[in-house]
Amino acid sequence: MEEKNEVQTISDSADIINLVIARLKTIPPNVELSVGNKGSFSIDELIEMVRKQDDIGKKMIEMQMAYLRSLGKLPTQELQNAPAAN
Amino acid sequence: MLLLLTRPRYDTPTHYLFYWAGLFIDEAKKNGVKIIDLDKGKAKKKKLHSYLAKQPIDTVILNGHGNQKAVAGEDNEIILSTGDGTELLKNKTIFVRACDAGAILGKEIMQQGAKGFIGYVQPFIFPSDKDSFNKPLEDELAAPVLECSNQVGTSLIKGKSVSEAHKDSLDKYTKAIDKYSSSEATNSFLLPILLWNMTSQVCYQP
Repeated sequence: MEEKNEVQTISDSADIINLVIARLKTIPPNVELSVGNKGSFSIDELIEMVRKQDDIGKKMIEMQMAYLRSLGKLPTQELQNAPAAN
Repeated sequence: MLLLLTRPRYDTPTHYLFYWAGLFIDEAKKNGVKIIDLDKGKAKKKKLHSYLAKQPIDTVILNGHGNQKAVAGEDNEIILSTGDGTELLKNKTIFVRACDAGAILGKEIMQQGAKGFIGYVQPFIFPSDKDSFNKPLEDELAAPVLECSNQVGTSLIKGKSVSEAHKDSLDKYTKAIDKYSSSEATNSFLLPILLWNMTSQVCYQP
């Protein structure tokens, strides 16, 4: 049972990493991101950091997932604010 | 009003912040605000502490690298940190545009009697166009993020309170997010970055 849970977690984590990498790949190659006190990085460098899950890679994952989660909230808010149907 | 500004410039992020914070100088002149501009090599701890101790400064805007407990000046020299200089910010309004400094440093600044603090509790992240390095103010990818962040300083220079300046900035982020969310918008990759900085920005008041 424990083993199954572990496998599930790894699978979820890999899916998230692939999702974040896919999103980063949509950014034009002329773009660099300045990330705090770590410096500026090309998209290819950021993708590599996400793969390695280093500190910057983890922040990229956190940033993209926060945005995707915010999208999930939108329909609920819209429904809450929608006028009642007659 | 007397405003003190630090603008180190020694790598790509500080190069951009140097120019974008330079817009505060024009805004200060327009609003009759006197300014002490600690740019490049002047953004050093000794100078900052000396000015804070001797001049009747009302508002402080620090730009540079940071962490939860400190802010850096030129060449990454720590110019303000927990237990070292926060007492000099008593009765002053502070905006720290540096990573993470809102987490611990900002709280200590408030405990030392500051009027208000705005900063970030996560890394401040912004995009730039490699081809615009020599014209940071014309960089159309950096502008949406840095305009929203600059709004804090602009509103403070206009005499607004920290809560008003914070709200003005968040309103600007909301408008930018709406703009880049539209189906016709290009550069929608800016959306996670805008949301990240918006939700990382904190405002503390007594």
